[in-house]
Amino acid sequence: MSKLFNTAKIPAVLVAATLASGCITSTVIDARTSETGIGDNESVVIMAKSYHLGNETEAKYIRCIEDNLARGRSGLNVIPHQEFVDSLFPWFEPRTAPAETKNLAKLMDRPGVAERIAEQGVRYIIWLDGDTDRVAGGGSLSCAAGPGGGGCFGFAWWQNDADYDASVWDLQGLESAGTVSTDVSGTSFMPALVIPLPFIARTQSKACKTLADHLHNFIVQEEPA
Amino acid sequence: MKRTALLGLLLAGLLTGCGASVKMAAPTIPTPLLEQIEMTVGVRMPANFEHFVHEESIYGQKEWSIDLGRSNAALFEQLFAYMFSTVIKLGPEDDPQLMALDAVIEPSIDAFEFSTPEQSNTEAFAVWIRYRLKVYDAEGDLTSNWPVAAYGKSQTTTLGGSAALQRAAILAMRDAAALMIMKFDNVTRISALAGGGSAPSAPIVPTQPTDRPEAQATALEGQSDE
Repeated sequence: MSKLFNTAKIPAVLVAATLASGCITSTVIDARTSETGIGDNESVVIMAKSYHLGNETEAKYIRCIEDNLARGRSGLNVIPHQEFVDSLFPWFEPRTAPAETKNLAKLMDRPGVAERIAEQGVRYIIWLDGDTDRVAGGGSLSCAAGPGGGGCFGFAWWQNDADYDASVWDLQGLESAGTVSTDVSGTSFMPALVIPLPFIARTQSKACKTLADHLHNFIVQEEPA
Repeated sequence: MKRTALLGLLLAGLLTGCGASVKMAAPTIPTPLLEQIEMTVGVRMPANFEHFVHEESIYGQKEWSIDLGRSNAALFEQLFAYMFSTVIKLGPEDDPQLMALDAVIEPSIDAFEFSTPEQSNTEAFAVWIRYRLKVYDAEGDLTSNWPVAAYGKSQTTTLGGSAALQRAAILAMRDAAALMIMKFDNVTRISALAGGGSAPSAPIVPTQPTDRPEAQATALEGQSDE
């Protein structure tokens, strides 16, 4: 075993394992239905479609999209979703939130709703639908320890799929501006020869970065790089 | 002696590992956007609203004890204070007919249920709460009997299952509050009782006892134009 992993090689292998990642493929599709654009005083809100409708978008994914959209010099003004939901209680709760743009006009007629949205400068609501699932996996990896030391041997792999759809609602025209969908598939590997070496595919992170970049371009109407 | 103490500690550790206890702080609902109903209502809370504990043993898993404390009382106190211009909390000895009230509301809890990620094969805790709201007119006649089914769901986090279960329970209470704000007057027609008005001639809610509150809830929610 010392021939394979002498003390000089172990740090190099660890660094390589840290830098390396699993295999990721991604697809993004935009479908625009109206012109967009955003002013300096306007903002966006990221919301998850209701769990009453069976949606399971993760809270950390919503925060990731919020952070990525707000990041950088050209970042958008993003109102944290919980702050927005609380300010409009009870009209954006999972039970009461509008499911279609045709319900927006009625919502805006409710007492205080249009004023509260205007105060916050919300121009777009982006509804996220989807989640990240483990869709496949296999291999065998076992570890053992004894008085003389321990180690692992084998090979394991797993595949995660991150499918998310974002519907962009324009509150100025009370209409849908379109959708952006991303489908990311990542396969992670973990070979082990005494030491397990993880090659992790950051599927959800990739889906977040990809969707946030496209949403930014979709809203400011830039061509994707 | 030392060995006995060590064994006792180990046993205590194992026993606590088989149970989970969740204690909830009273929730705060945000100020709602609504049109307040101009009337004076009395609210009679049941004793268990001040200290509600749900205990459940899940087969093959641990035992759960969920202490909602006075969360239910706090929820309805806040909610009714937002919904009605004057709210008077009634004690067990108070006679509402001597208090110039337009109506009396009596909330109660029919059922509290939850599911763990292991049961639902997801990464989320879910909580269902079934409340019941009885509305009486100034003469003390029952005018409405409305079962309210609320649901909350929260994904497990690094903070652990207890935090997710608490969050799911708070979301279920917010869900109940949202439903009541949206449909209370449509379903119970309580505003018709303002100024000593009588109950609607055709009761919105059948007052006969039912063994199937879920069926009644569905039928009632279907009546709304929301």
